[in-house]
Amino acid sequence: MSDQLKEQGSIPVSKVQRAAKFISTGAKVGGNYVKHYAKKMVNPSMNKDELHQNNATDIYNSLSELKGSALKVAQMMSMDKNLLPRAYQDKFTMAQYSAPPLSYPLVVKTFQKYFQKTPEQLFDTFTRSAVNAASIGQVHQATKEGKTLAIKIQYPGIANSVTSDLRLVRPFALRLLNMNEKELDHYMGEVEERLIEETDSQLEVARSREISEACGHIPNLRFPSYYDQWSSDRIITMDWISGKHIKEWMDTKPSQALRNQVGQALWDFYHHQVHNLKQVHADPHPGNFIIQQDGTLGIIDFGCVKVIPEDFYQGYFALIKRELVMNAVELDQIFYDLEFISDLDTEEEKLYFKGVFKEMISLLGQPFHVDRFDFADDKYFEQIFLLGDRISNDKMFKSSRQARGSKHGLYINRTYFGLYNLLNQLKAEVDTTKPDWLK
Amino acid sequence: MDTATAKKKEKKDHRQLILEGFVSHVLEHGKEPASIFKFAKDLKINEVEFYNYFTSFDVIKSSIWVALFEETHRQLEEQEVYKEYAVREKFLSFLFTWVEELKKNRSYLHSLYGNKVTTFKNLPTDTREFKEKFSDFASELILEGKETQEIASRPLITEKYDEALWLQVGFVFRYWLDDNSPRFEKTDAAIEKSVNFAFDLMGKSALDSFLDLAKFLYQSK
Repeated sequence: MSDQLKEQGSIPVSKVQRAAKFISTGAKVGGNYVKHYAKKMVNPSMNKDELHQNNATDIYNSLSELKGSALKVAQMMSMDKNLLPRAYQDKFTMAQYSAPPLSYPLVVKTFQKYFQKTPEQLFDTFTRSAVNAASIGQVHQATKEGKTLAIKIQYPGIANSVTSDLRLVRPFALRLLNMNEKELDHYMGEVEERLIEETDSQLEVARSREISEACGHIPNLRFPSYYDQWSSDRIITMDWISGKHIKEWMDTKPSQALRNQVGQALWDFYHHQVHNLKQVHADPHPGNFIIQQDGTLGIIDFGCVKVIPEDFYQGYFALIKRELVMNAVELDQIFYDLEFISDLDTEEEKLYFKGVFKEMISLLGQPFHVDRFDFADDKYFEQIFLLGDRISNDKMFKSSRQARGSKHGLYINRTYFGLYNLLNQLKAEVDTTKPDWLK
Repeated sequence: MDTATAKKKEKKDHRQLILEGFVSHVLEHGKEPASIFKFAKDLKINEVEFYNYFTSFDVIKSSIWVALFEETHRQLEEQEVYKEYAVREKFLSFLFTWVEELKKNRSYLHSLYGNKVTTFKNLPTDTREFKEKFSDFASELILEGKETQEIASRPLITEKYDEALWLQVGFVFRYWLDDNSPRFEKTDAAIEKSVNFAFDLMGKSALDSFLDLAKFLYQSK
């Protein structure tokens, strides 16, 4: 019997459909390039902005229809703003908010599977349509005995589609991120691991509890409680946190003091996780933060948590020190450890990359070099952006045949870029605390 | 329980007894009984008595399909929220519930159909009555869909929509039989995606506008 199952089971319809989706996007993107060059022949002064705009729209459209891990990749690309041309950015940040919803009958079915009850039987009220799209599912609002609850429902079969989705995304990532295959594979493994973790609801609840408990002492933070009796492999029930996302909140013109308060809470939250807990909420995109009316910061979604290995931690943050007091030999060792350079490099390459990384690190470390940093300073972000642009267009970098930077750095960089970006959006000035050994 | 009602119940339940006996025979032996004579003997009833209820094994199998459908339908009607659903959701709900019913009989269905059926087409006798009932159900949905504009009215094609939905039921059945994902999650995803696809096709789309334009250009030439 099981033999029979396998025989037909090797034609996963969903995968074929997914592949088709990507192919059609590929065709559209190709079409955009053709259009671009056609227009350019007529009008040589045209730049690539429009092309990027068209590509971003098409890619976003197909990614958001696919849901799941593809959407996750879109989010991730939208995080690493400095890696992407400007036009992609805004489109991809949209991916953080909206995606086509699960039908209500499927929601009902999911509940029946795990609780043998419909949502209406379990809760006093339950919204028929999703109030929010999460990256690997959607959120419904419910009430029960006077409590307002947020219920996150995962799409069926997501966990199994992570690997195949990533394989489908690969060619796009190659083009968009301007990486070579080796580099990409170096990081894809890490991404896959995180994504698979993210589909594990029980792990998410356990981690949320652990981290919210450990961060409970930080002022102006709010964490939801989680309810085991209404949670399962694919359903998570937690407190509903009402408030606004950063963008909407900023529209209400909050005072500088209030913005600093939120910004400081955010900084302290990350400081404590990185330096004391050594595991960090590695998904600092705006959708995961809710600012409440009194200026406290609600933190939801602990799907993506990166555990920081001790030796990586030492090397990475040692570089952030203001004066690199160590000698060249020590510094080289750290560069080796963090995989910025390797024995395969020529002397010329080594020299070049060391220079680039020093520049990058001193730029990214700037907030750490002072006691208080004003993240409203757009000039600083412009500098990061320009550097990223310059590096990714540099011939030396493009022709380098190997991956650079430890894979652990991927999520840590992402976390810090995300954090800086959020603070920039908040236009906040914060005390940039650092552990004693870095002072 | 006094003997009179017990006897009456037994009489009434002969039909049920035969159905259950048939299912358990398939479950235990992995195939249909060799003959009606043998089957009736195993059930300790008269072969003639058997013919009072069913004329062949095919009729039994057909009755089981119908029973699955009717149970699904009953459960749908029970759900308060079902009446408020749009047509697309109703059909989704039907398939989700139907698959749950199938799950209760998975071994039976697998023994009978696991390794030979490719579509319902190959099973005309087993599923004819089920198909009739389903077609009534589907026609109702399509009518409702046309009223709510969820389904575009297209001459000639619209009449075949119940047939299309029937094909989809067959597709889901086949997919489910071969599904070995935990909790049959892939079947859920397949239902969701294929129904959305089907209803997107049946809804008003660019194709209608295109045909309209083509007709216009042709006529005004």
